[in-house]
Amino acid sequence: MALLEVKNLGISFGGLRAVDEFSVSIEKGELYGLIGPNGAGKTTVFNMLTGVYKPSNGVIMLDGQNITGKSTIEINRAGIARTFQNIRLFKAMSVLDNVKVGLHNHYKYSTAEGVFRMPRFFFTEKEMDKKAMELLSVFELDSKADFLASNLPYGDQRKLEIARALATQPKLLLLDEPAAGMNPNETAELMNTIRFVRDNFDMTVLLIEHDMSLVSGICEKLSVLNFGQLLCEGNTFDVLKNPEVITAYLGD
Amino acid sequence: MSNKATLAKAKMLKPQTKQSFTTYIMVIAAFVIMMVLSSTGNVSSQIEGLLVPLCVYSILAVSLNLTVGILGELSLGQAGFMCVGAYASALFSIATNESITVAWIRFPLAILVGGICAAVFGILIGIPVLRLRGDYLAIVTLAFGEIIKNVFAALYVGIDSNGLHIALNQADMNLAEDGTEIIRGALGVKGVPQDSTFVIGFVLLMITLIISYNFINSRTGRAVKAIRDNAIAAESVGLNITKYKLITFALTAFLAGLAGALYSHNYATLQAAKFDYNMSILILVFVVLGGIGNIRGSVIAAIVLTLLPEVLRSINNYRMLIYSIVLIVMMICTSNEKARNLIISVFNWLKDQIIKLKNMIIKPKTKEVK
Repeated sequence: MALLEVKNLGISFGGLRAVDEFSVSIEKGELYGLIGPNGAGKTTVFNMLTGVYKPSNGVIMLDGQNITGKSTIEINRAGIARTFQNIRLFKAMSVLDNVKVGLHNHYKYSTAEGVFRMPRFFFTEKEMDKKAMELLSVFELDSKADFLASNLPYGDQRKLEIARALATQPKLLLLDEPAAGMNPNETAELMNTIRFVRDNFDMTVLLIEHDMSLVSGICEKLSVLNFGQLLCEGNTFDVLKNPEVITAYLGD
Repeated sequence: MSNKATLAKAKMLKPQTKQSFTTYIMVIAAFVIMMVLSSTGNVSSQIEGLLVPLCVYSILAVSLNLTVGILGELSLGQAGFMCVGAYASALFSIATNESITVAWIRFPLAILVGGICAAVFGILIGIPVLRLRGDYLAIVTLAFGEIIKNVFAALYVGIDSNGLHIALNQADMNLAEDGTEIIRGALGVKGVPQDSTFVIGFVLLMITLIISYNFINSRTGRAVKAIRDNAIAAESVGLNITKYKLITFALTAFLAGLAGALYSHNYATLQAAKFDYNMSILILVFVVLGGIGNIRGSVIAAIVLTLLPEVLRSINNYRMLIYSIVLIVMMICTSNEKARNLIISVFNWLKDQIIKLKNMIIKPKTKEVK
């Protein structure tokens, strides 16, 4: 039984068929890549998987649970967390607080307990701090915990977004172009981080990426989208050699 | 050695905690100074009369800052919630005037009733209104504020041996001979017990500050700030946006209700016309000039801008001129990066001078030699 099972997923915006008959099956612990030329519908697939868009047809099963058409919040609780192509951090909040927002649904106390500073507030906040710092240290951000998120350098902002997504304790992590705007050194570092996350958090990762060095470096399997349709899928090595894929990227 | 220990302790305090405690200490200090001044007879009767309104406006500014600064939504209906709190508490006080004769039991209850009624209104209005964003939300809250005010201005409530009578004009009330009118339309409420004192106002302001700071620095407050910073990302980490918006809105309304109760028990008569959009805008001015999201700034702005017109009364002709200049200067100082940096550098210079002066007076005992 695959962790994520997507069958015949499709969505139309007016007359435009943005994604059509998209199917994918991702096993637990896999590092899966979704690639394709600009405008192929990759981010649209992500948005459907996370409930931002409601798919017109198709079924999404996560760990045996049907999550098709559910709200973003329900899907996050079911176990999908994501990062965004254009970084979406809580900019006016500290790095630590960003991660603590991610922990929100796992460490609970009521508003009243917070306002009146009941014992559970102190206890839970301490636990949250500890857990958040643990996560930050994975990404070597623990020394910058007090920084404002907007003051972090670009690469660190990307990492913080991943840390925040991991804080929601997902089963599946979706990364939307994690290496966008990074230099080769930062990309190499990011590859290590993603691998580390997969190995140490027992995470399944689905990522969209344009940087082929990253894709070929860490993804075990790939799906290629072109004009909203699945062009081919399979092992990374085979897919990248496929002449159809090369044509889609480079033209005839 | 002791110096090092205190330094370590200061570092251990979280910046938020330090910020909130600085504000508490400032407010307490201001209160003590005012109390000392007024007990030694150094305060003019004009200023004395302003003490309770100062607390009222500070509470209102702090409460509105929760919506504007923390939730990030512009609300112009604050006077409406204040109006609900004022009327509800006034009604409660008049109704229980005979059964609860001790003011210090009755008044806290009245304040609580005012706050809770306002919070209920906040939730009722918040459910439809919080679907909107930005300018639209501002317009609709403004409208709701005006609606509340006008409904209260048209309301007639009386009580007689048959029970409570509520009508929209005096003739419809059908009061019996022994009845008394409580709310008389645009004439408002008469005979509200004048229970508000500066001490109660101060206590209420402190409660408001503690609630606000604790709220901001809690799990809920963090969620609210996350929604302000990026709603899409907040949803993606599983935050229920509507819920947290409603909680903030209700809390804002509750605190405004407290302020309304304090306000209504400060004057003998209470008229709905006072709670018009000018009041809402005035509160928003406090929030904006004090710095959006800055609780301490709200208190300072509310105090300065309420006191200023009275202090300037002696130069009556130029009063509003100076008031507007102060407004503009404050606006530039809070929004302009260069002006702010200038002020910060002046402050730093002053700080350096003070440290130098201190070093001149108390010379460091030993110099460390490597």
